[in-house]
Amino acid sequence: MLESIFFYLFGGLATIGALLVVLSRNPMHSVMWLIFCFFNAAGLFFLLDAEFIGIITILIYVGAVMVLFIFVIIMLEVNVARMREGFLHHLPLGGMIAMLVFIEMASAGFSGVFSAEQMGTAVHLGQEVNNTAEIGKELYTHYLLGFELAAIILLAALVGSVVLTIRSRKDAKYQNIPAQIAVKKSDRLRKVRM
Amino acid sequence: MVPLSHYLLIGAALFSIGIVGLFLNRKNVITILMCIELILLAVNINFVAFSHFLNDLGGQIFVFFVLTIAASEVAVGLAILMAFYRLRRSINVEDLNTLQG
Amino acid sequence: MSLLDMAIQAGIWALEILAITIPVALSVAYITYLERRVIGWMQIRKGCNRVGWAGLLQPIADGLKLFLKESIIPTHANKALFVAAPVLALLPALVAFAVIPFGETDLFGIWKSPHLMAIANLNIGILYVMAVGSLAIYGILLAGWASNSKYALIGAVRSTCQMVSYEVSMGFAIVCVLMLAGSMNLGDIVNAQAGGFWHWYIIPLFPMFLVYFISGCAETNRSPFDLPEGESEIVAGFFVEYSGMWFATFSLAEYAAMILISLMTSIMFMGGWHAPIPALDFIPGTLWLLGKTLFFIFLFIWFRATFPRYRYDQLMRLGWKVFLPCTLVWIAVLGIATYTPGLSTIIGFWQPWR
Repeated sequence: MLESIFFYLFGGLATIGALLVVLSRNPMHSVMWLIFCFFNAAGLFFLLDAEFIGIITILIYVGAVMVLFIFVIIMLEVNVARMREGFLHHLPLGGMIAMLVFIEMASAGFSGVFSAEQMGTAVHLGQEVNNTAEIGKELYTHYLLGFELAAIILLAALVGSVVLTIRSRKDAKYQNIPAQIAVKKSDRLRKVRM
Repeated sequence: MVPLSHYLLIGAALFSIGIVGLFLNRKNVITILMCIELILLAVNINFVAFSHFLNDLGGQIFVFFVLTIAASEVAVGLAILMAFYRLRRSINVEDLNTLQG
Repeated sequence: MSLLDMAIQAGIWALEILAITIPVALSVAYITYLERRVIGWMQIRKGCNRVGWAGLLQPIADGLKLFLKESIIPTHANKALFVAAPVLALLPALVAFAVIPFGETDLFGIWKSPHLMAIANLNIGILYVMAVGSLAIYGILLAGWASNSKYALIGAVRSTCQMVSYEVSMGFAIVCVLMLAGSMNLGDIVNAQAGGFWHWYIIPLFPMFLVYFISGCAETNRSPFDLPEGESEIVAGFFVEYSGMWFATFSLAEYAAMILISLMTSIMFMGGWHAPIPALDFIPGTLWLLGKTLFFIFLFIWFRATFPRYRYDQLMRLGWKVFLPCTLVWIAVLGIATYTPGLSTIIGFWQPWR
């Protein structure tokens, strides 16, 4: 029973958070609601015995990705009013498509293929089963190629974002440390006979 | 005991909210990126739910990959946004029209 | 499970949580006292010695003063986020204490086997501490942005860059510990170091210990990395606009984070609750852990009393060009050593999982 209560709590709050992400006027508020939504999703992951994925969601999404979002919002001076133009103009079409998608997916979910009789009921595993170790065993054996590809993608993203944002400023004075260290006494000091 | 279909319902709800968001905030790149994150989150919930109910860890490993892709997508997307802002002093999607001639 | 059982369980949890939070809050108050006295001693002056015997009531007087002051919200501040920021700063620092084990006890022989003295004994305890620790940025970032003030914004931006950079090397230092301990459970990590100080991870991982502790200094925005506050450049950084109790909440968060880093350092590198020599085991383990923690807190204060502040580019260079390569090299060294025939027996001494 406790599990159901927590499931509806996390699920409901995640949905409300997602709605407020879309409807908030201020992008900063949207980011905060998205963080809230991620926390509740992590709660759902914990309910599903996936504690490693849950904590990784918090660590990566909330700890790194959303900080990046906030940082960009702070750095860019965004004209919110102009952004909101035509907000309601697209509501009928967007709402209709989203409703269609939702109805399709919900009817697929409730069609009976995924019902408790068909899928069986999964038992919760005890604390002695280490989710992290199991994921590690799978990841470094069956999914090794995917893992390496993910590493390459991350490297490409890293290099790409640095290349896109770096700019060398001519007016800024930088310290040249090797030159500073390599300096000799004879370079700086000149004896003058008085 | 919560059945699988309820997890799928939450996944569907988050997915369609993300789609609505893409339609409503068509001018704001930051919000569009956030809606994409929402959609990926919905996918993650489905993956983990199936992984739990089928007793197969493959789903959780795919969530791992989705997280990687999402992180790199945001990093590159926001970098493009910064570069664009330096050029145009705006992040409005409608100002991305230099190729229209 | 009946409703009564659930109520009893909830009550026990509430008591456990109170048993951690109240001592943390009290020790935060007295660490400020300790800091003032120790810095006074190091700089050959008195420190606070007026209120109560030897100034022992000073923290309470300070708290009362801050509590009674007016809390001001600046005119064009974003009210909701302005009020939420101090809470978001304090919350992660306190929540992280949920998984910290303070020792092992069999409750005077009532339990058959020793139990961990922690609110939650998680399999992924160390990841939890990292994840929750990375949330501390939000309080600072929102405080800086919502205040609608230049100084606050500069402080917040500085702080974010600093914390994000140092989190990376901190994470890699933790990976080194995991490679030796073979577990993410904090209790298992401590028990892997049982049996005397030659089993402690400070010996094979000494550079990582330095990296972790110094990055911890940078994470908590303590000097010499206190650029986000930098009172000589940007007044008080991200919390310029805060007053009264909200201001106190920020310093509470800073000191709680300081205690957390000290605890984690002693758990991961200094053998946690194990005595340095097995002959000293008659002293309770919790006292050993708290003693080690106190030493690291003293180290934090010592840093503040002696080191000048870093310049911003020096700070970034230290994080990215010194610490990060160091940790990466050390991970490679550990990995190669574990699977090289001759070296694996040496490194295997610290690896109980083999």
